[in-house]
Amino acid sequence: MLDTSKNLGHFETDRKQNHKIGGEMSDSTTSQFKVWAFLRRNSALLSHDEYRAGHVGFHCGNTRRLKGIRGYTVNIHDERADLGHELAATGAVTIESEPPGFLDLWDGFPAVHFDDREQWTQAGTREPTRATAEGLVEDPDWTLSDGPFLFDRVAPTTTQFHSYHTRVEEHVIQPVLRAETRPFKLVQFFRSAEGPARDTLRARLLAEYAPLCSTLGGLNGLVLNLRDPDIDAAVRGYYPDDHWCFTAEGRAFREAFFGLWDGALELWFDHADAFVAARSALPMLPALNELERELFSALWYVAVDENVIVMPNRQPAPDFYYR
Amino acid sequence: MLKVFGFVRRHERLSHDEYRAAHAGYHNSYGRRLNGIRGYLLNVRANRTPESVFAEDAAYLTEGRPADFDDRWDGYGQLMFDSLADYLSAKSPARDRPGPEGLEYDEAVAAVGGDAPYLYSGPPIQFHVAEQVIVPVRRPEHKVFKVVHFARRNPALDPEEFRARWYGGYGSLSRGVPGLLGHVLNVPTALDVMTGFFTEESGAFSADAAARRGAFHACFDGIAEYWFTGPEAFRAWREAQSAALRELERELFAGFFFQEVDETVAVLPDRLPPAPFYHR
Repeated sequence: MLDTSKNLGHFETDRKQNHKIGGEMSDSTTSQFKVWAFLRRNSALLSHDEYRAGHVGFHCGNTRRLKGIRGYTVNIHDERADLGHELAATGAVTIESEPPGFLDLWDGFPAVHFDDREQWTQAGTREPTRATAEGLVEDPDWTLSDGPFLFDRVAPTTTQFHSYHTRVEEHVIQPVLRAETRPFKLVQFFRSAEGPARDTLRARLLAEYAPLCSTLGGLNGLVLNLRDPDIDAAVRGYYPDDHWCFTAEGRAFREAFFGLWDGALELWFDHADAFVAARSALPMLPALNELERELFSALWYVAVDENVIVMPNRQPAPDFYYR
Repeated sequence: MLKVFGFVRRHERLSHDEYRAAHAGYHNSYGRRLNGIRGYLLNVRANRTPESVFAEDAAYLTEGRPADFDDRWDGYGQLMFDSLADYLSAKSPARDRPGPEGLEYDEAVAAVGGDAPYLYSGPPIQFHVAEQVIVPVRRPEHKVFKVVHFARRNPALDPEEFRARWYGGYGSLSRGVPGLLGHVLNVPTALDVMTGFFTEESGAFSADAAARRGAFHACFDGIAEYWFTGPEAFRAWREAQSAALRELERELFAGFFFQEVDETVAVLPDRLPPAPFYHR
C-alpha cells in the first residue's frame, strides 16, 4: 500500500473511526506488492464449477505454500452477466459502458500479497514444509503442473496458459473484517474518464470518491486498487523472457483486457441485498452519482465468491513459518 | 456445527518451529481439502513468553498450568463440519485435481497427506466440543492476538451451572471490550469422534493413547478462545475488569491458565448453509 496520508484530509479521520475496532494494530500500514491474475479456465476439460474445485482445491493446496506469501484470496465470478441490469434497475446504482462478454474473459482471479517485487518473483523457491522420516524437507510432490489442465492453454503444444497478471496499487479505505460466514463481495471495475492524469485521478478517488463510498452502511471492508499502467509489472521476472505473454500476440491479448479498466474497488457486505440498500439509503447518493459520471467513462460490477487461502497480513512477517 | 479439537505433540525429530512449518505448510494443504470441511484452524503454541504478553499479570494468568502441560502439545487443529456423518466421511479422495481427463480424484486427501507418523508423536488427542459463541469472531487482515483459556471447574458447581455461568456472567465481561474480535467457549463432550476417523494402526485406540488422553483432559473442563487485536488490548481489558474477573475466577474455577497461540486460517469457518459449489 502507498502512503496516501498527504492526500487524505478529512477522509483520514473517517478511516480512523471505521478502524477503531482494529485498535493500535492497523492492517494497512505496510507497503506490499499485490498482484491480481485474471484467469480463464480450460473449458475443454472443466466447467466453471469444476474449475472452482480445481483452483481452490488442488491448485491452492500447492500455491498457498509459495515462499513469502503474505495474503491470498481466490475470487471466482458468479456467472451472473445480468447483474449490471439488475443493479441499474434499482435506480441506486450507476452502470456505464460495461464491456460485453466481460465474464467470458475470465473465471476467477487470485489476489496475492507479497512484501515486495522480489519476493513475488522468487515465490516459487522451495522451502522445507513437509515432515518425513528424514525430518523437515522440501516437498518433492509440490507442483504447479496442473496449470495447463486448469487454465486456458495458449496452444495444445505448450503448457503455457493465458493469463492477465497485473500489479495493483492498493489503498485500504476501510480495513476488511471477515465474519465466520461466506461474505457477499462485489468488485467495482472502472475506467477513467478522458482527461485527468493518473495522479489526478488517484488524488480525487482518495480525497473525494472513496470517502463517500466508505459511508455506505453495512460495509465490512473497502479497498481501492489502481491497475499498474505498466502491464509487465507483475510478469517481468516472474515468467521467463521467452514466455508467450511477452510475444506480440501475448502483449496485444493483455493490452486488450487491461484497456477495459483502470482500477477496481473491492466491497464486502454481509449479503447480496446490503449493497443496494446501502446505496439507496445514502444521503449523499446524488453527489456519488455525479462524481461517478465525472470520474469514470465505464463503471460496472461483478459479484465474486471469495475463498480465503491465506489470510492477508500487512504487518511485518513473524520470524517463523506462518500462513 | 460439529466442532472437533485435535491436540498434537510434535514428532521428536522436529523442533517446535519445524513442526509449525510442517503443520501449517504441507499438512494444512491437504487438511483444507477434506471433503465437506466448513472450517479449519490451526493453533500453534506461541513462542513468546507469558511475561512478554501478559506483563505483570503473567504469574496470575498462568499459575494454574500443570508443570508439564507444554510438553503434552505443540498445537491443536480445529475442524468444523455440518454433521458427524460429514466429519467421518471427510477423509476420502477429493475430486479437486485438474488433470488431462478433467477434474480427477486425489487419493492423497484421504490420508491428509500421509505425514502424520512423521509430524506427530502419538495420535492426536481428538475430542468434540460443545461451542457457545460469546462474541462472534471477525478477523481483520493482520495477525491477531489469540489467547486460549483452559479452566477446571470448581467442584462445588454442577457442570451445567459451571458452563452457564462461564458463558453468562463471566462471558459478559468481555462484551463490548475495545480490541476484542471474538470470544468462544468450548466444553468437551463425550461424543465419540475417534471411531471411524482414526484407524487401529494409528495407535489412537491403544491403552497408552487412552491414558495420555485421560491425563490431558484432567487439566481442563473447558477451553475459551479469545481473539484480540493485540496483547495491549487484552491487558487493558484485564486491567479494566480486574476485580470482577478475579472474583468470578475464584468462584468458577478450581484452576485455570491462559496460553497465547498463533492461529492459521486454513479454511475460514462458514457457519451459513454451504454454498452449492466448492468453496473454502
